[in-house]
Amino acid sequence: MRYRLILLILPLFALLAVSAGFAYVHWSKGGTGTGLYSRYWSPDPVQGYWDPDNFYQSVKSVEGVFKAALCIQCHEGITPGIVADWRASRHGQSDNPVYCNDCHGSDHQHLRLPTPEVCGNCHQKQHGEFKDEARYGFPSHVLAMERAVDAKHFVDKPKGEVQSCVQCHSVATKCDSCHTRHRFDAAEARRPEACITCHSGPPHPDDETYFASAHGKLYLAEGNDWDWSKPLTKGNYKAPTCAYCHMDGGRHQVAHKSLWKFGLREVNPHTSKNQVLRKNWIKLCGDCHEQEKARQWLTELDQERKRAWQKLYAAEDILKDLRSDNLLQPAAGERPPYPMDWMDRLWPRERIGFFEGQASAFYNVSAIERDYFEMWYFDNLGAYKSAAHGNQAGVESGHRKMAASLDRIETKASELYHLSDTEQRAEITPEASHEIWMKGAYTDYNRKHN
Amino acid sequence: MEKTIAYRVISFGWLPGILCLAAHTAIADQQVPPGPFTETECITCHTERDPDLIRQWREGPHSIASDVECGSCHGDRHKDSVPRARKDQSCSGCHDGPVSHSYTTSKHGVINRLEEGRQDWQQPLQRGHYRAPGCSYCHLHDGDHGDTMAPDRGPEMRQWICSGCHSPRYVREQFANGKRQLAIADLKLAEGEALMSSAVEGLPGVLPKLQQNLIQHRENVLLGVGHQSPDYQWWHGQPALDGDLIRIRDAISEFQ
Repeated sequence: MRYRLILLILPLFALLAVSAGFAYVHWSKGGTGTGLYSRYWSPDPVQGYWDPDNFYQSVKSVEGVFKAALCIQCHEGITPGIVADWRASRHGQSDNPVYCNDCHGSDHQHLRLPTPEVCGNCHQKQHGEFKDEARYGFPSHVLAMERAVDAKHFVDKPKGEVQSCVQCHSVATKCDSCHTRHRFDAAEARRPEACITCHSGPPHPDDETYFASAHGKLYLAEGNDWDWSKPLTKGNYKAPTCAYCHMDGGRHQVAHKSLWKFGLREVNPHTSKNQVLRKNWIKLCGDCHEQEKARQWLTELDQERKRAWQKLYAAEDILKDLRSDNLLQPAAGERPPYPMDWMDRLWPRERIGFFEGQASAFYNVSAIERDYFEMWYFDNLGAYKSAAHGNQAGVESGHRKMAASLDRIETKASELYHLSDTEQRAEITPEASHEIWMKGAYTDYNRKHN
Repeated sequence: MEKTIAYRVISFGWLPGILCLAAHTAIADQQVPPGPFTETECITCHTERDPDLIRQWREGPHSIASDVECGSCHGDRHKDSVPRARKDQSCSGCHDGPVSHSYTTSKHGVINRLEEGRQDWQQPLQRGHYRAPGCSYCHLHDGDHGDTMAPDRGPEMRQWICSGCHSPRYVREQFANGKRQLAIADLKLAEGEALMSSAVEGLPGVLPKLQQNLIQHRENVLLGVGHQSPDYQWWHGQPALDGDLIRIRDAISEFQ
C-alpha cells in the first residue's frame, strides 16, 4: 500500500516541481528587461534601436498616416542620405518598389523598426535559415541577443555601459548588421568587411587573422575587381571570403559547420555529430582544394586545439587548487557580488572555467583570475582564429602568449603558496586587504546603478 | 513718384549682383596653372578667393602651428586636389593607430571603403551626397577647414551632420548614450587614479605603466563612441579598464 502511495506521490511531486520550474522561468522573464534576469534590469534609452521588437517606441511628435510619396518628400529634406540610399537600392529600383511604409508602417506615431520577421515577410528562405541556426546552439547569430542579456555581467553593469555589447549582439534582432540600411545590398554583405565591425578585437580577431592568410591577402590585392553580384558558389570567387565559407551558397546561418564552437570550450572532434559537420567543411574546401588536403588541415586544427587546451587546463588546475586552498585574493566573498546572485551570497565561489561562467569573470576578480580570463579569451581565441583561417604566424604568436600567460600564472601561484607558508610558519594572520576591492568611484556607482 | 528705399533696391539691386557674379566668373575662369605649388602660394591665392576657408584653417587644428601643409592632404597639384583630400587615405597617413582603426572597423568606415569605387568624390561634403561618412564628411563637413566635430563647435553641429542620414531622435539618443559610456569610463579612470594616489610612496615601478594603460583605454572608449565602433567601446575600452583596476589593486595589495 505504502509502495503504491509513493508511486503516486512521486510523479505528482515531479510534475509539481517541473511546473514550478516553468512558472519561475516564465515569471523571471516578465520584468522591465528581457531574458532570465529581466526583473533585475531596465534598458538604457538607446536599447530600443538595438532590440526594436522589445524596446523600440515610435516617436510621438509627428502625427499622421502617410503614404510613400509623402514619406519620401519629407525625408528628402530631413534625412536625405537614407532617401538617396533607398533610391539606389533594389527596393527602390524595382518595378514594384518596396516603399518606406511596407517595412515601417504608415502611422508615424506607431512606426516600427524592421525586425528579421519584417524582412522575412518577403525574404522567407533567408529568414527561415537564419532562425534555423538556433538548433545548433550558441555561438550563433540568431541567439546572440538572448545570450548577451542573460550574461551576468550584462545584468550587473550599468546599462549605459553595456550598450556596446548589444550593438553587435543585435545581429539577432535586425538584418542591417550585414545588409546596412537603406541599401540592403547582398553584394555588400558578401564582402569580408561586412563582418569586421563585430568580428574584430581581442576575443575574435577574425579580421586580422583572415586578412593575414593567403586567402585574405588575395582578397586584399584583387577583391575590388571581383564581381560581387555573383552568388557564393563554386567557381565564382578566386579566393574564399567570410561569407563564402561560413554562409556557402548564401545560406543564412553559420552554424552548420561549426566544429570547434568558436574555440571557447573543448570539443571532442571524434563524435559522430562532429564528423558530419566536418564533412561539410571538406566538401566546401573541395571547391578549390583536394579533399584529402582539407582533411589534413582539419586534423592540424584538431592538434592545435589539443595543444591549446592542454595549456588552458594546466592554468585552470592551478586556479582551482588555489581556490581549494583559499589563496585567491580577494576571495569571492570579499568582492562586490552580482546583485541578483543570491547563490553568491550563500556560497561565495570563484568562477573558473567555461562551465562555471568564465565569460563574466573579467572584473571584480583577483589578478590571477583576470590573467586566466585573458589567456582563455584573448590568447586562446587569437590562436584558434589564426589556425582556422590559415595564418600560421598568428597561431605561433597565440601559443607564445598562452605559454607566457601560463608562466605568469604559475609564478604568481607559487608566490602565493610561498607567502602562505611563511605566514603559517610565523603564525601571522594575513591582514585583511580586501577593503580596497570593495570601494571606488566606479565600483560604488555600479552597485547603485546596475 | 517718390523713390522709396524699397524702390531703389528693387530697381538697382541687380547691379551689384551682376558685378559680383562677373568678378567671380572671371576668377573661376582664370586658368590655374597645374602646379606644383608651395604652401605660401596656396595660402596667398586662396586668402583672396576663399577668405572664410583660410580663416577656418588658421583657427583649426591643422593651422600653421601644426606640421600639416595644404599639400599634405591636397597634394601639390591643382588637378583632383579636392576629391583627393576628401578620401580617408589623406587622413590615415598621420592619424593612424587606434584613431584610424576605430573608424575603419566601424560600419561607417566599412561602407566608405566598400563604396569608394562608386562614390562620386567630386560631390561637396554635404548631406545626401555620401553613402557613409568618411573622415572629411564629419570633421570637415561642407568643406569647413576647422574641425566640425570639435567639442567647441557645439552639439548642434554634430546633430546636423549625423542627422543627414539618421533620424534626429536617433542621433540625440546615441549622443546621450555616448556621454553615459564616457562618464562611466571617467569613473573608472577616477577610481584608478584615486587608488594610485592613496598608495604609499615608493610603490613598485609598475604603476606608471598601469596609469598609461588606464588613460589609453579611456581614450579608446571616446574613440569607440565617436567613431561608433563597438569594439573600441567595449574590448579596447570598458573591460580593458576593468583589467587595469584589477592590476592596480593587485599591485597595491601586493606591496602592502
